[in-house]
Amino acid sequence: MAEWGRTTLELVVEELQQPVRLDATFERRVMVRVRRLFAQRRRHRRGWVGVAARVTHHPAWAAAVAASVVAVVTLGVMRTRPQVLPLAAAVVEPVQFVLVAPTAHSVAVVGDFNDWGLNDSALVATHHQGVWSVTAPVPAGVHRYAFVVNGKEWVADPSAPRSAGDDFGMPSSALVVEDSTK
Amino acid sequence: MESTDAALVTRVLHGDVNAYGALVSRYRDRYARYAVHMLGNREDAEEALQDAFTRAYRSLARCEEPERFGAWLFRILVNRCRTSGARRVRRGQTFVHDEGALMKASQEHPAEQTMWREEIERALGELSADQREAFLLKYVEELGYDEMAEITGVGVSALKMRVMRACDRLRTLLREVHSG
Amino acid sequence: MISRPIRGFITVALSCAALAQVGAQDPRIGNKLDAPSRAALRALVDSARAQGLPTEPLYEKMDEGQAKGADGPRIVAAVRSLTLEMASAHRALGTVATVDEIKAAASAMHAGVPAVELGKIKKQSGLRRSLTLPFTVLADIVSRGVPVEAGVNAIRSLVGAGAKDADLSKFQRNVSVDIEQGAPPAAAAETRAKGATPAAKPEEQY
Repeated sequence: MAEWGRTTLELVVEELQQPVRLDATFERRVMVRVRRLFAQRRRHRRGWVGVAARVTHHPAWAAAVAASVVAVVTLGVMRTRPQVLPLAAAVVEPVQFVLVAPTAHSVAVVGDFNDWGLNDSALVATHHQGVWSVTAPVPAGVHRYAFVVNGKEWVADPSAPRSAGDDFGMPSSALVVEDSTK
Repeated sequence: MESTDAALVTRVLHGDVNAYGALVSRYRDRYARYAVHMLGNREDAEEALQDAFTRAYRSLARCEEPERFGAWLFRILVNRCRTSGARRVRRGQTFVHDEGALMKASQEHPAEQTMWREEIERALGELSADQREAFLLKYVEELGYDEMAEITGVGVSALKMRVMRACDRLRTLLREVHSG
Repeated sequence: MISRPIRGFITVALSCAALAQVGAQDPRIGNKLDAPSRAALRALVDSARAQGLPTEPLYEKMDEGQAKGADGPRIVAAVRSLTLEMASAHRALGTVATVDEIKAAASAMHAGVPAVELGKIKKQSGLRRSLTLPFTVLADIVSRGVPVEAGVNAIRSLVGAGAKDADLSKFQRNVSVDIEQGAPPAAAAETRAKGATPAAKPEEQY
Protein backbone atom coordinates (compact mmCIF):
# COMPACT_ATOMS: atom_id res chain seq x y z
CA MET A 1 0.00 0.00 0.00
CA ALA A 2 1.30 3.47 -0.78
CA GLU A 3 2.70 5.65 1.98
CA TRP A 4 -0.69 7.36 2.38
CA GLY A 5 -1.90 8.18 5.82
CA ARG A 6 -3.87 5.12 6.75
CA THR A 7 -6.16 7.37 8.77
CA THR A 8 -7.23 9.18 5.62
CA LEU A 9 -7.79 5.96 3.69
CA GLU A 10 -9.74 4.50 6.57
CA LEU A 11 -11.97 7.56 6.77
CA VAL A 12 -12.58 7.57 3.03
CA VAL A 13 -13.45 3.89 2.99
CA GLU A 14 -15.62 4.23 6.07
CA GLU A 15 -17.55 7.01 4.36
CA LEU A 16 -17.93 5.08 1.14
CA GLN A 17 -19.06 1.98 3.00
CA GLN A 18 -22.08 3.78 4.40
CA PRO A 19 -25.18 1.88 3.30
CA VAL A 20 -27.20 3.24 0.41
CA ARG A 21 -30.94 2.63 0.63
CA LEU A 22 -32.87 2.57 -2.58
CA ASP A 23 -36.33 3.85 -3.18
CA ALA A 24 -38.94 1.52 -1.67
CA THR A 25 -40.46 0.93 -5.10
CA PHE A 26 -37.23 -0.44 -6.57
CA GLU A 27 -38.04 -4.05 -5.85
CA ARG A 28 -41.52 -3.69 -7.25
CA ARG A 29 -40.15 -2.19 -10.48
CA VAL A 30 -37.68 -5.03 -10.91
CA MET A 31 -40.34 -7.66 -10.29
CA VAL A 32 -42.67 -6.06 -12.84
CA ARG A 33 -39.97 -6.61 -15.48
CA VAL A 34 -39.21 -10.09 -14.21
CA ARG A 35 -42.84 -11.18 -14.23
CA ARG A 36 -43.20 -9.88 -17.74
CA LEU A 37 -40.29 -12.08 -18.82
CA PHE A 38 -41.77 -15.01 -16.93
CA ALA A 39 -45.08 -14.60 -18.73
CA GLN A 40 -43.36 -14.39 -22.12
CA ARG A 41 -41.47 -17.59 -21.41
CA ARG A 42 -44.58 -19.45 -20.38
CA ARG A 43 -46.30 -18.52 -23.60
CA HIS A 44 -43.21 -19.59 -25.58
CA ARG A 45 -42.86 -22.89 -23.70
CA ARG A 46 -46.42 -23.92 -24.37
CA GLY A 47 -45.45 -24.06 -28.04
CA TRP A 48 -42.36 -26.22 -27.29
CA VAL A 49 -44.24 -28.51 -24.92
CA GLY A 50 -46.66 -29.22 -27.74
CA VAL A 51 -43.83 -30.17 -30.09
CA ALA A 52 -42.11 -32.29 -27.44
CA ALA A 53 -45.33 -34.14 -26.73
CA ARG A 54 -45.65 -34.98 -30.42
CA VAL A 55 -41.95 -35.82 -30.66
CA THR A 56 -41.89 -38.27 -27.79
CA HIS A 57 -44.47 -40.46 -29.44
CA HIS A 58 -41.76 -41.61 -31.82
CA PRO A 59 -39.34 -44.05 -30.12
CA ALA A 60 -36.32 -42.78 -32.07
CA TRP A 61 -37.08 -39.20 -31.06
CA ALA A 62 -37.49 -40.13 -27.42
CA ALA A 63 -34.08 -41.81 -27.43
CA ALA A 64 -32.51 -38.81 -29.17
CA VAL A 65 -33.92 -36.33 -26.68
CA ALA A 66 -32.83 -38.49 -23.75
CA ALA A 67 -29.31 -38.80 -25.16
CA SER A 68 -29.06 -35.05 -25.67
CA VAL A 69 -30.23 -34.35 -22.15
CA VAL A 70 -27.57 -36.70 -20.81
CA ALA A 71 -24.96 -34.93 -22.94
CA VAL A 72 -25.98 -31.52 -21.63
CA VAL A 73 -25.94 -32.71 -18.03
CA THR A 74 -22.48 -34.19 -18.54
CA LEU A 75 -21.17 -30.98 -20.11
CA GLY A 76 -22.68 -28.85 -17.44
CA VAL A 77 -21.46 -30.84 -14.43
CA MET A 78 -20.52 -28.64 -11.53
CA ARG A 79 -16.78 -28.26 -11.28
CA THR A 80 -15.08 -29.61 -8.20
CA ARG A 81 -13.65 -27.00 -5.90
CA PRO A 82 -10.07 -26.71 -7.07
CA GLN A 83 -6.96 -26.37 -5.02
CA VAL A 84 -5.51 -23.11 -6.16
CA LEU A 85 -2.05 -22.12 -5.13
CA PRO A 86 -1.96 -18.90 -3.13
CA LEU A 87 -1.20 -15.74 -5.05
CA ALA A 88 1.66 -13.47 -4.12
CA ALA A 89 1.03 -10.76 -1.57
CA ALA A 90 -0.12 -7.42 -2.94
CA VAL A 91 3.21 -5.59 -2.74
CA VAL A 92 4.33 -3.29 -5.53
CA GLU A 93 7.78 -1.89 -6.15
CA PRO A 94 8.84 0.92 -8.49
CA VAL A 95 10.64 -0.40 -11.55
CA GLN A 96 12.41 1.70 -14.15
CA PHE A 97 12.32 0.43 -17.70
CA VAL A 98 14.99 1.86 -19.99
CA LEU A 99 15.57 1.41 -23.71
CA VAL A 100 18.16 3.15 -25.83
CA ALA A 101 16.43 3.87 -29.13
CA PRO A 102 17.65 7.15 -30.64
CA THR A 103 15.61 6.82 -33.83
CA ALA A 104 12.32 5.79 -32.21
CA HIS A 105 9.28 8.06 -32.28
CA SER A 106 7.51 6.30 -29.46
CA VAL A 107 8.29 3.59 -26.94
CA ALA A 108 5.85 1.83 -24.66
CA VAL A 109 6.23 -0.93 -22.10
CA VAL A 110 3.68 -3.73 -22.06
CA GLY A 111 3.61 -6.87 -20.00
CA ASP A 112 1.51 -9.13 -17.88
CA PHE A 113 1.37 -6.40 -15.22
CA ASN A 114 -0.70 -4.18 -17.50
CA ASP A 115 -2.64 -6.69 -19.59
CA TRP A 116 -0.05 -6.40 -22.33
CA GLY A 117 -1.46 -2.99 -23.16
CA LEU A 118 -4.80 -4.44 -24.26
CA ASN A 119 -6.99 -2.06 -22.27
CA ASP A 120 -5.08 1.08 -23.33
CA SER A 121 -2.87 0.33 -20.38
CA ALA A 122 0.55 0.47 -22.05
CA LEU A 123 3.18 2.43 -20.12
CA VAL A 124 4.32 5.26 -22.35
CA ALA A 125 8.00 6.12 -22.04
CA THR A 126 9.54 9.55 -22.37
CA HIS A 127 12.95 10.11 -23.84
CA HIS A 128 16.01 12.17 -23.20
CA GLN A 129 18.39 12.27 -26.14
CA GLY A 130 17.34 8.89 -27.39
CA VAL A 131 17.23 7.18 -23.99
CA TRP A 132 13.63 6.16 -23.31
CA SER A 133 12.44 5.44 -19.82
CA VAL A 134 9.39 5.01 -17.67
CA THR A 135 9.07 4.10 -14.02
CA ALA A 136 6.00 2.30 -12.77
CA PRO A 137 4.94 0.32 -9.73
CA VAL A 138 4.99 -3.40 -10.53
CA PRO A 139 3.67 -6.07 -8.19
CA ALA A 140 6.20 -8.40 -6.59
CA GLY A 141 6.66 -11.60 -8.55
CA VAL A 142 7.90 -12.78 -11.93
CA HIS A 143 6.66 -11.02 -15.05
CA ARG A 144 7.03 -11.06 -18.81
CA TYR A 145 7.25 -7.81 -20.70
CA ALA A 146 8.54 -6.12 -23.82
CA PHE A 147 9.02 -2.71 -25.36
CA VAL A 148 6.85 -1.72 -28.29
CA VAL A 149 8.70 0.75 -30.49
CA ASN A 150 6.83 3.05 -32.87
CA GLY A 151 3.63 1.28 -32.04
CA LYS A 152 4.47 -1.92 -33.84
CA GLU A 153 7.96 -3.29 -33.29
CA TRP A 154 8.32 -5.67 -30.35
CA VAL A 155 11.72 -5.45 -28.69
CA ALA A 156 13.04 -7.44 -25.76
CA ASP A 157 14.87 -5.54 -23.05
CA PRO A 158 18.56 -6.02 -23.87
CA SER A 159 19.48 -5.53 -20.22
CA ALA A 160 17.09 -8.15 -18.86
CA PRO A 161 16.95 -11.94 -18.90
CA ARG A 162 15.07 -13.42 -21.80
CA SER A 163 11.72 -14.96 -21.08
CA ALA A 164 11.76 -18.45 -22.48
CA GLY A 165 8.06 -19.15 -22.77
CA ASP A 166 6.20 -19.15 -26.07
CA ASP A 167 6.45 -15.56 -27.20
CA PHE A 168 4.44 -15.86 -30.44
CA GLY A 169 7.52 -15.04 -32.45
CA MET A 170 8.03 -11.69 -30.77
CA PRO A 171 10.62 -11.53 -28.02
CA SER A 172 9.82 -10.90 -24.38
CA SER A 173 11.92 -10.31 -21.29
CA ALA A 174 11.65 -11.59 -17.75
CA LEU A 175 11.40 -9.38 -14.71
CA VAL A 176 11.57 -10.60 -11.14
CA VAL A 177 10.40 -8.02 -8.63
CA GLU A 178 11.37 -8.80 -5.08
CA ASP A 179 9.11 -8.11 -2.15
CA SER A 180 11.15 -5.57 -0.24
CA THR A 181 8.98 -5.99 2.84
CA LYS A 182 10.28 -9.51 3.36
CA MET B 1 -35.16 -19.84 8.53
CA GLU B 2 -33.91 -17.76 5.62
CA SER B 3 -33.55 -19.65 2.36
CA THR B 4 -30.10 -19.89 0.82
CA ASP B 5 -29.34 -18.35 -2.54
CA ALA B 6 -29.10 -21.83 -4.04
CA ALA B 7 -32.54 -22.76 -2.71
CA LEU B 8 -34.09 -19.56 -4.06
CA VAL B 9 -32.47 -19.97 -7.46
CA THR B 10 -33.76 -23.53 -7.66
CA ARG B 11 -37.26 -22.38 -6.82
CA VAL B 12 -37.14 -19.67 -9.47
CA LEU B 13 -35.93 -22.12 -12.09
CA HIS B 14 -38.82 -24.38 -11.18
CA GLY B 15 -41.28 -21.62 -11.91
CA ASP B 16 -41.65 -19.77 -8.59
CA VAL B 17 -41.01 -16.28 -9.94
CA ASN B 18 -41.85 -14.68 -6.60
CA ALA B 19 -38.81 -16.33 -5.06
CA TYR B 20 -36.74 -13.99 -7.23
CA GLY B 21 -38.09 -11.10 -5.18
CA ALA B 22 -36.27 -12.48 -2.15
CA LEU B 23 -33.00 -12.39 -4.09
CA VAL B 24 -33.67 -8.81 -5.18
CA SER B 25 -34.32 -7.78 -1.58
CA ARG B 26 -31.23 -9.54 -0.41
CA TYR B 27 -28.79 -7.84 -2.77
CA ARG B 28 -30.29 -4.54 -3.84
CA ASP B 29 -28.90 -2.31 -1.09
CA ARG B 30 -25.50 -3.94 -1.00
CA TYR B 31 -24.96 -3.53 -4.71
CA ALA B 32 -26.66 -0.15 -4.87
CA ARG B 33 -23.74 1.23 -2.92
CA TYR B 34 -21.24 0.08 -5.55
CA ALA B 35 -23.38 1.35 -8.42
CA VAL B 36 -23.90 4.76 -6.83
CA HIS B 37 -20.19 5.34 -6.20
CA MET B 38 -19.21 3.97 -9.57
CA LEU B 39 -21.70 5.99 -11.58
CA GLY B 40 -21.91 9.05 -9.39
CA ASN B 41 -25.65 9.46 -9.25
CA ARG B 42 -28.65 7.56 -7.99
CA GLU B 43 -30.65 7.50 -11.23
CA ASP B 44 -27.95 5.87 -13.28
CA ALA B 45 -27.18 3.52 -10.41
CA GLU B 46 -30.79 2.37 -10.08
CA GLU B 47 -31.07 1.86 -13.79
CA ALA B 48 -27.88 -0.19 -13.91
CA LEU B 49 -28.99 -2.26 -10.94
CA GLN B 50 -32.46 -2.89 -12.37
CA ASP B 51 -30.86 -3.90 -15.62
CA ALA B 52 -28.49 -6.24 -13.80
CA PHE B 53 -31.31 -7.95 -11.89
CA THR B 54 -33.32 -8.35 -15.08
CA ARG B 55 -30.41 -9.79 -17.01
CA ALA B 56 -29.61 -12.11 -14.13
CA TYR B 57 -33.16 -13.42 -14.15
CA ARG B 58 -33.06 -13.92 -17.89
CA SER B 59 -29.80 -15.86 -17.68
CA LEU B 60 -30.47 -17.63 -14.39
CA ALA B 61 -30.24 -21.09 -15.92
CA ARG B 62 -26.63 -20.28 -16.82
CA CYS B 63 -25.65 -19.49 -13.23
CA GLU B 64 -23.28 -22.41 -12.74
CA GLU B 65 -22.92 -22.02 -8.98
CA PRO B 66 -26.29 -21.00 -7.52
CA GLU B 67 -24.81 -20.81 -4.04
CA ARG B 68 -22.64 -17.97 -5.40
CA PHE B 69 -25.54 -16.15 -7.04
CA GLY B 70 -24.49 -12.92 -5.34
CA ALA B 71 -21.02 -12.94 -6.88
CA TRP B 72 -22.46 -13.86 -10.28
CA LEU B 73 -24.97 -11.01 -10.04
CA PHE B 74 -22.22 -8.63 -9.01
CA ARG B 75 -20.25 -9.51 -12.12
CA ILE B 76 -23.28 -8.61 -14.22
CA LEU B 77 -23.68 -5.34 -12.34
CA VAL B 78 -20.01 -4.40 -12.78
CA ASN B 79 -20.43 -4.91 -16.53
CA ARG B 80 -23.62 -2.86 -16.59
CA CYS B 81 -21.88 -0.04 -14.78
CA ARG B 82 -19.09 -0.14 -17.34
CA THR B 83 -21.49 0.25 -20.22
CA SER B 84 -23.69 2.75 -18.47
CA GLY B 85 -21.86 5.64 -20.02
CA ALA B 86 -19.78 8.47 -18.72
CA ARG B 87 -20.10 9.26 -15.11
CA ARG B 88 -21.89 12.48 -14.36
CA VAL B 89 -21.33 14.00 -10.99
CA ARG B 90 -24.34 16.09 -10.14
CA ARG B 91 -23.35 18.70 -7.68
CA GLY B 92 -25.63 19.28 -4.85
CA GLN B 93 -27.31 15.90 -5.12
CA THR B 94 -27.62 14.12 -1.82
CA PHE B 95 -27.91 10.39 -1.47
CA VAL B 96 -30.32 8.78 0.91
CA HIS B 97 -28.12 6.80 3.19
CA ASP B 98 -29.00 4.94 6.30
CA GLU B 99 -31.12 7.57 7.95
CA GLY B 100 -29.93 6.83 11.44
CA ALA B 101 -26.28 7.23 10.52
CA LEU B 102 -26.99 10.33 8.50
CA MET B 103 -28.93 11.89 11.34
CA LYS B 104 -26.15 11.17 13.79
CA ALA B 105 -23.51 12.60 11.48
CA SER B 106 -25.61 15.68 10.79
CA GLN B 107 -26.07 16.31 14.45
CA GLU B 108 -22.40 15.99 15.24
CA HIS B 109 -20.80 17.81 12.29
CA PRO B 110 -23.49 18.71 9.81
CA ALA B 111 -21.67 20.88 7.34
CA GLU B 112 -18.33 19.10 7.67
CA GLN B 113 -19.80 15.66 7.02
CA THR B 114 -21.57 16.80 3.88
CA MET B 115 -18.49 18.61 2.64
CA TRP B 116 -16.27 15.61 3.32
CA ARG B 117 -18.66 13.34 1.44
CA GLU B 118 -18.82 15.70 -1.49
CA GLU B 119 -15.06 15.98 -1.54
CA ILE B 120 -14.72 12.22 -1.67
CA GLU B 121 -17.31 11.87 -4.42
CA ARG B 122 -15.66 14.62 -6.42
CA ALA B 123 -12.28 12.95 -6.07
CA LEU B 124 -13.74 9.59 -7.08
CA GLY B 125 -15.17 11.26 -10.14
CA GLU B 126 -11.70 12.44 -11.10
CA LEU B 127 -10.37 8.89 -11.28
CA SER B 128 -10.50 6.99 -14.53
CA ALA B 129 -13.34 4.47 -14.63
CA ASP B 130 -10.85 1.59 -14.41
CA GLN B 131 -9.16 3.01 -11.34
CA ARG B 132 -12.43 3.87 -9.64
CA GLU B 133 -13.79 0.38 -10.29
CA ALA B 134 -10.65 -1.26 -8.91
CA PHE B 135 -10.56 1.01 -5.85
CA LEU B 136 -14.22 0.42 -4.99
CA LEU B 137 -14.00 -3.32 -5.44
CA LYS B 138 -10.85 -3.58 -3.36
CA TYR B 139 -11.45 -1.18 -0.51
CA VAL B 140 -15.17 -0.56 -0.33
CA GLU B 141 -16.47 -3.96 -1.38
CA GLU B 142 -13.41 -5.64 0.21
CA LEU B 143 -12.87 -8.22 -2.48
CA GLY B 144 -9.67 -10.19 -2.96
CA TYR B 145 -7.67 -9.68 -6.13
CA ASP B 146 -8.56 -13.09 -7.49
CA GLU B 147 -12.25 -12.34 -7.00
CA MET B 148 -11.79 -8.97 -8.67
CA ALA B 149 -10.06 -10.63 -11.61
CA GLU B 150 -12.92 -13.09 -11.97
CA ILE B 151 -15.50 -10.31 -11.91
CA THR B 152 -13.77 -7.78 -14.12
CA GLY B 153 -11.88 -10.00 -16.53
CA VAL B 154 -8.72 -8.01 -15.83
CA GLY B 155 -5.42 -9.55 -14.78
CA VAL B 156 -4.40 -9.48 -11.13
CA SER B 157 -1.24 -7.51 -11.77
CA ALA B 158 -3.06 -4.88 -13.76
CA LEU B 159 -5.68 -4.61 -11.01
CA LYS B 160 -3.02 -4.06 -8.40
CA MET B 161 -1.55 -1.27 -10.47
CA ARG B 162 -4.96 0.34 -10.91
CA VAL B 163 -5.62 0.25 -7.16
CA MET B 164 -2.19 1.70 -6.54
CA ARG B 165 -2.75 4.54 -8.99
CA ALA B 166 -6.22 5.21 -7.61
CA CYS B 167 -4.84 5.58 -4.10
CA ASP B 168 -2.06 7.87 -5.33
CA ARG B 169 -4.52 10.01 -7.22
CA LEU B 170 -6.99 10.22 -4.33
CA ARG B 171 -4.17 11.17 -2.02
CA THR B 172 -3.31 14.06 -4.31
CA LEU B 173 -6.90 15.18 -4.66
CA LEU B 174 -8.03 14.91 -1.07
CA ARG B 175 -6.72 16.96 1.81
CA GLU B 176 -4.69 14.92 4.27
CA VAL B 177 -6.57 14.37 7.49
CA HIS B 178 -4.17 14.18 10.34
CA SER B 179 -5.00 11.86 13.11
CA GLY B 180 -5.64 13.80 16.20
CA MET C 1 -31.42 -37.50 -47.69
CA ILE C 2 -31.46 -37.35 -43.91
CA SER C 3 -34.53 -38.90 -42.34
CA ARG C 4 -36.82 -36.82 -40.14
CA PRO C 5 -35.87 -38.52 -36.85
CA ILE C 6 -32.17 -38.05 -37.53
CA ARG C 7 -32.68 -34.42 -38.58
CA GLY C 8 -34.53 -33.87 -35.36
CA PHE C 9 -31.80 -35.51 -33.33
CA ILE C 10 -29.16 -33.31 -34.92
CA THR C 11 -31.24 -30.22 -34.21
CA VAL C 12 -31.76 -31.16 -30.57
CA ALA C 13 -28.12 -32.13 -30.09
CA LEU C 14 -26.87 -28.90 -31.65
CA SER C 15 -29.25 -26.84 -29.53
CA CYS C 16 -28.11 -28.57 -26.37
CA ALA C 17 -24.45 -28.14 -27.29
CA ALA C 18 -25.03 -24.47 -27.98
CA LEU C 19 -26.73 -24.06 -24.61
CA ALA C 20 -23.81 -25.70 -22.84
CA GLN C 21 -21.36 -23.53 -24.77
CA VAL C 22 -23.16 -20.33 -23.83
CA GLY C 23 -23.16 -21.39 -20.21
CA ALA C 24 -19.38 -21.77 -20.25
CA GLN C 25 -18.35 -18.17 -21.00
CA ASP C 26 -15.33 -16.79 -19.18
CA PRO C 27 -14.98 -13.00 -19.10
CA ARG C 28 -11.20 -13.33 -18.78
CA ILE C 29 -11.03 -15.00 -22.17
CA GLY C 30 -13.06 -12.32 -23.85
CA ASN C 31 -14.88 -12.59 -27.13
CA LYS C 32 -12.36 -11.49 -29.75
CA LEU C 33 -11.17 -15.01 -30.50
CA ASP C 34 -13.06 -17.58 -32.55
CA ALA C 35 -15.54 -19.76 -30.66
CA PRO C 36 -13.63 -23.08 -30.89
CA SER C 37 -10.50 -21.39 -29.53
CA ARG C 38 -12.46 -19.83 -26.68
CA ALA C 39 -13.93 -23.21 -25.81
CA ALA C 40 -10.51 -24.86 -25.92
CA LEU C 41 -9.04 -22.16 -23.70
CA ARG C 42 -11.88 -22.50 -21.26
CA ALA C 43 -11.28 -26.25 -21.08
CA LEU C 44 -7.56 -25.70 -20.48
CA VAL C 45 -8.26 -23.27 -17.65
CA ASP C 46 -10.73 -25.68 -16.07
CA SER C 47 -8.25 -28.50 -16.37
CA ALA C 48 -5.48 -26.42 -14.80
CA ARG C 49 -7.76 -25.38 -11.96
CA ALA C 50 -8.79 -28.98 -11.32
CA GLN C 51 -5.12 -29.94 -11.07
CA GLY C 52 -4.47 -27.22 -8.50
CA LEU C 53 -2.38 -25.15 -10.92
CA PRO C 54 -2.42 -21.37 -11.00
CA THR C 55 -4.65 -20.06 -13.75
CA GLU C 56 -3.43 -16.46 -13.78
CA PRO C 57 -0.38 -17.31 -15.95
CA LEU C 58 -2.71 -18.86 -18.51
CA TYR C 59 -4.82 -15.72 -18.74
CA GLU C 60 -1.63 -13.67 -19.01
CA LYS C 61 -0.49 -15.85 -21.90
CA MET C 62 -3.84 -15.33 -23.64
CA ASP C 63 -3.50 -11.55 -23.25
CA GLU C 64 0.05 -11.69 -24.56
CA GLY C 65 -1.04 -13.64 -27.59
CA GLN C 66 -3.87 -11.25 -28.37
CA ALA C 67 -1.64 -8.22 -27.88
CA LYS C 68 0.88 -9.73 -30.31
CA GLY C 69 -1.81 -10.42 -32.88
CA ALA C 70 -1.71 -14.21 -32.68
CA ASP C 71 -4.74 -16.12 -33.91
CA GLY C 72 -6.90 -18.36 -31.74
CA PRO C 73 -5.28 -21.71 -32.54
CA ARG C 74 -1.83 -20.26 -31.93
CA ILE C 75 -2.88 -18.93 -28.53
CA VAL C 76 -4.49 -22.27 -27.67
CA ALA C 77 -1.23 -24.05 -28.50
CA ALA C 78 0.77 -21.67 -26.32
CA VAL C 79 -1.62 -21.99 -23.39
CA ARG C 80 -1.69 -25.79 -23.73
CA SER C 81 2.09 -25.86 -23.73
CA LEU C 82 2.24 -23.63 -20.66
CA THR C 83 -0.33 -25.76 -18.84
CA LEU C 84 1.70 -28.89 -19.46
CA GLU C 85 4.90 -27.18 -18.39
CA MET C 86 3.32 -25.87 -15.20
CA ALA C 87 1.90 -29.30 -14.42
CA SER C 88 5.33 -30.88 -14.79
CA ALA C 89 6.90 -28.12 -12.72
CA HIS C 90 4.28 -28.56 -10.03
CA ARG C 91 4.97 -32.28 -9.84
CA ALA C 92 8.73 -31.75 -9.76
CA LEU C 93 8.77 -28.94 -7.23
CA GLY C 94 6.06 -30.19 -4.92
CA THR C 95 3.24 -28.42 -3.16
CA VAL C 96 5.53 -25.98 -1.34
CA ALA C 97 6.42 -24.24 -4.62
CA THR C 98 5.02 -20.74 -5.02
CA VAL C 99 3.12 -19.52 -8.07
CA ASP C 100 6.14 -17.49 -9.16
CA GLU C 101 8.46 -20.49 -8.82
CA ILE C 102 6.13 -22.54 -10.97
CA LYS C 103 5.97 -19.80 -13.60
CA ALA C 104 9.73 -19.46 -13.65
CA ALA C 105 10.19 -23.24 -13.71
CA ALA C 106 7.77 -23.51 -16.65
CA SER C 107 9.88 -20.95 -18.47
CA ALA C 108 13.04 -22.95 -17.81
CA MET C 109 11.33 -26.11 -19.06
CA HIS C 110 10.26 -24.31 -22.20
CA ALA C 111 13.90 -23.47 -22.76
CA GLY C 112 14.71 -27.19 -22.51
CA VAL C 113 15.57 -27.84 -18.87
CA PRO C 114 14.06 -31.14 -17.70
CA ALA C 115 11.65 -30.91 -14.77
CA VAL C 116 13.68 -33.47 -12.83
CA GLU C 117 16.69 -31.12 -12.81
CA LEU C 118 14.55 -28.32 -11.45
CA GLY C 119 13.29 -30.69 -8.78
CA LYS C 120 16.86 -31.45 -7.75
CA ILE C 121 17.64 -27.75 -7.40
CA LYS C 122 14.52 -27.33 -5.28
CA LYS C 123 15.43 -30.27 -3.10
CA GLN C 124 18.94 -28.95 -2.65
CA SER C 125 17.72 -25.49 -1.70
CA GLY C 126 14.78 -26.59 0.44
CA LEU C 127 12.78 -23.66 1.74
CA ARG C 128 15.84 -21.52 2.39
CA ARG C 129 15.28 -19.30 -0.59
CA SER C 130 12.90 -18.59 -3.44
CA LEU C 131 13.95 -20.21 -6.69
CA THR C 132 12.07 -17.76 -8.90
CA LEU C 133 15.17 -15.85 -9.93
CA PRO C 134 17.49 -18.88 -10.21
CA PHE C 135 15.01 -20.57 -12.57
CA THR C 136 14.58 -17.31 -14.51
CA VAL C 137 18.34 -16.98 -14.92
CA LEU C 138 18.61 -20.63 -15.91
CA ALA C 139 15.95 -20.14 -18.58
CA ASP C 140 17.83 -17.12 -19.88
CA ILE C 141 21.29 -18.62 -20.16
CA VAL C 142 19.99 -21.83 -21.74
CA SER C 143 18.09 -19.68 -24.25
CA ARG C 144 21.39 -18.00 -25.11
CA GLY C 145 23.00 -21.31 -25.95
CA VAL C 146 24.46 -22.55 -22.69
CA PRO C 147 24.01 -26.33 -22.75
CA VAL C 148 21.37 -27.54 -20.32
CA GLU C 149 23.84 -29.54 -18.23
CA ALA C 150 26.26 -26.62 -17.92
CA GLY C 151 23.46 -24.26 -17.06
CA VAL C 152 21.99 -26.54 -14.43
CA ASN C 153 25.40 -27.15 -12.90
CA ALA C 154 26.09 -23.42 -12.75
CA ILE C 155 22.82 -22.63 -11.05
CA ARG C 156 23.13 -25.55 -8.64
CA SER C 157 26.59 -24.44 -7.60
CA LEU C 158 25.45 -20.86 -7.12
CA VAL C 159 22.37 -21.79 -5.15
CA GLY C 160 24.31 -24.34 -3.14
CA ALA C 161 26.92 -21.73 -2.24
CA GLY C 162 24.26 -19.39 -0.94
CA ALA C 163 24.31 -16.85 -3.79
CA LYS C 164 21.80 -14.05 -3.32
CA ASP C 165 19.50 -12.74 -6.04
CA ALA C 166 21.87 -9.86 -6.71
CA ASP C 167 24.71 -12.37 -7.32
CA LEU C 168 22.52 -14.33 -9.70
CA SER C 169 21.45 -11.21 -11.60
CA LYS C 170 25.07 -10.20 -12.00
CA PHE C 171 25.95 -13.73 -13.13
CA GLN C 172 23.25 -13.59 -15.81
CA ARG C 173 24.40 -10.21 -17.10
CA ASN C 174 28.04 -11.30 -17.22
CA VAL C 175 27.27 -14.54 -19.05
CA SER C 176 25.14 -12.72 -21.63
CA VAL C 177 27.84 -10.12 -22.25
CA ASP C 178 30.51 -12.81 -22.56
CA ILE C 179 28.44 -14.75 -25.10
CA GLU C 180 27.74 -11.61 -27.08
CA GLN C 181 31.46 -10.99 -27.19
CA GLY C 182 32.03 -14.44 -28.67
CA ALA C 183 32.71 -16.66 -25.69
CA PRO C 184 31.55 -20.29 -25.94
CA PRO C 185 28.35 -20.34 -23.90
CA ALA C 186 29.32 -23.30 -21.72
CA ALA C 187 32.67 -21.74 -20.87
CA ALA C 188 31.06 -18.41 -20.08
CA ALA C 189 28.59 -20.04 -17.67
CA GLU C 190 31.22 -22.19 -15.94
CA THR C 191 33.67 -19.33 -15.54
CA ARG C 192 31.18 -16.82 -14.29
CA ALA C 193 29.64 -19.33 -11.88
CA LYS C 194 33.01 -19.82 -10.22
CA GLY C 195 33.46 -16.09 -9.88
CA ALA C 196 29.99 -15.40 -8.64
CA THR C 197 29.95 -17.65 -5.62
CA PRO C 198 30.02 -15.61 -2.40
CA ALA C 199 33.17 -17.37 -1.19
CA ALA C 200 35.21 -16.27 -4.23
CA LYS C 201 36.87 -12.91 -3.85
CA PRO C 202 37.43 -10.89 -7.07
CA GLU C 203 41.23 -10.98 -6.85
CA GLU C 204 41.24 -14.76 -6.73
CA GLN C 205 39.90 -14.96 -10.28
CA TYR C 206 43.13 -13.60 -11.84
